[in-house]
Amino acid sequence: MPPVSVNNVTIDFPIYGSASRSLRHTLFGRTGGLVRHEGARQQRVVVRALDRVSFELEHGDRLGLIGHNGAGKSTLLKVLAGVYWPDSGSVRIEGKISPMFTSAPGLDLEDSGIENIKTCGMFLGMKPDEVDRKAADIAEFSELGEYLDLPVRTYSAGMLTRLCFAIATSIDPDILLLDEGFGTGDARFAARAADRMQALIQRTRILVLASHSDTMIKNMCNKAALMEKGQIVALGPIDDILARYHRGDVDVPAPAATLQPTA
Amino acid sequence: MKPHYATAWTDLVSGFAQWDVWTRLGWQEVRRRYRRTVLGPFWATLSIGMFIGGMTFIWAPLFKTDVSSYLPFLASGLVAWAFVTTIIAEGTGIYIGGAGIITQLNFPYSILNFVAVWRNIIVFFHNVIIVVVVVLVLKVRVSWETLLVIPGLIIVGLNGVWLTLLLGMVGTRFRDIPPLIGNLIQIMMFVTPVFWLPSQLGSGHYVITFNYMYHLIEVMRAPMLGMAPSKLNYAVTIVGTLLGFLVTFEFYARFRRRIPYWL
Repeated sequence: MPPVSVNNVTIDFPIYGSASRSLRHTLFGRTGGLVRHEGARQQRVVVRALDRVSFELEHGDRLGLIGHNGAGKSTLLKVLAGVYWPDSGSVRIEGKISPMFTSAPGLDLEDSGIENIKTCGMFLGMKPDEVDRKAADIAEFSELGEYLDLPVRTYSAGMLTRLCFAIATSIDPDILLLDEGFGTGDARFAARAADRMQALIQRTRILVLASHSDTMIKNMCNKAALMEKGQIVALGPIDDILARYHRGDVDVPAPAATLQPTA
Repeated sequence: MKPHYATAWTDLVSGFAQWDVWTRLGWQEVRRRYRRTVLGPFWATLSIGMFIGGMTFIWAPLFKTDVSSYLPFLASGLVAWAFVTTIIAEGTGIYIGGAGIITQLNFPYSILNFVAVWRNIIVFFHNVIIVVVVVLVLKVRVSWETLLVIPGLIIVGLNGVWLTLLLGMVGTRFRDIPPLIGNLIQIMMFVTPVFWLPSQLGSGHYVITFNYMYHLIEVMRAPMLGMAPSKLNYAVTIVGTLLGFLVTFEFYARFRRRIPYWL
């Protein structure tokens, strides 16, 4: 079996409005035959974020996810990360998964940089002694110096990005999930960040990257998947997929958002 | 929803096993409260203390009890009450508060529950100073039974775990629940013998016997007053803990994987 196997996965997000999330509607909506009569009120919007997605990844695969905003790239990453369990279909993953999405998980603005390194490290699955071992390296790479003893809320946006980046890239994952929203600060830092990112990818066995940047995909990946409206419409060599993406050759039959009766 | 017992079990067991993580995070949250304030968590202690001081001079004459017996009762009762109800009130918003991590990572969510209970245990040891002062000044009986406060704390803490798991799920799905629980707690404060003595209503009165909160308070309050809680107090709270976990486990098995969708 391949280390990553995604089989026919569908993800529906129920959108709870102010009306349908309240207990009142669930309680009174279920009484008697009112449901059918008040059909309009008993419908809720369900967004189909992923639609029958299937693929497999082997060791050494670096998959780039391409697609327009809302095509399902980030949702797919989160399904691989185990954040969302699919309603139907199955996801099977062997190995340690490390997600790098927006910021460092568990970050608290009132805590100092050092404290945040420890907290985030733990949430990223490091043991306390592992965090202590890596803290020096993280501190050094972030180049924050004495600022590490100050509350994170005093940092500039760039400094915060550097801290988050340094923490997130200190992990040793088998499978790395990377969302392009993950920034790298100013130009000089960006160059060092690129090196560190390359090193991280080198020690990672499988990479899945969601990005709009052709260069990023070309630099970091060895295959690509084109997504549209929650489906993978094509998977193959990067150049073919990128070409198809830029031609706008994405043909999907199913609608993305549908109105469905309350489950 | 089909129950997934293995997932729920793994979550609870591995969450508890990561005690090094949740004890650290619990301390970290207490430390945050000290920041930029002189008293930090002692502000809560101080406000309970002021409250007790004020109430004693009104309620003791009103109930025609003398201050030296009423004051220790009120102090220990209020400190226990604050411990139980803060856990419950915070529990309803526990996953909403953890949304940042839950939507980024797959980890045992129960860690959040253990953090909340642990933090409140630390806060309890701040507040208990009021009781210690009252006990010393008024020379309340201290005996071996006083040590029973530790098992009492453990029983209430375990109840806190299942209560925050269950209320956390319900509160995330139905956003009416957190304010509703907040209201109920206020009402319960007057129904439960905290301000008034159980003997004033007549021991064995159904308002007392069938009030789970009373038994939770009593397993902590009685030892602080140098007495052993009754067999009934222990029977009710221990059976309640087991039943609570049983019911919560069934819910957790069914809905744990829906939590990120509700955020």
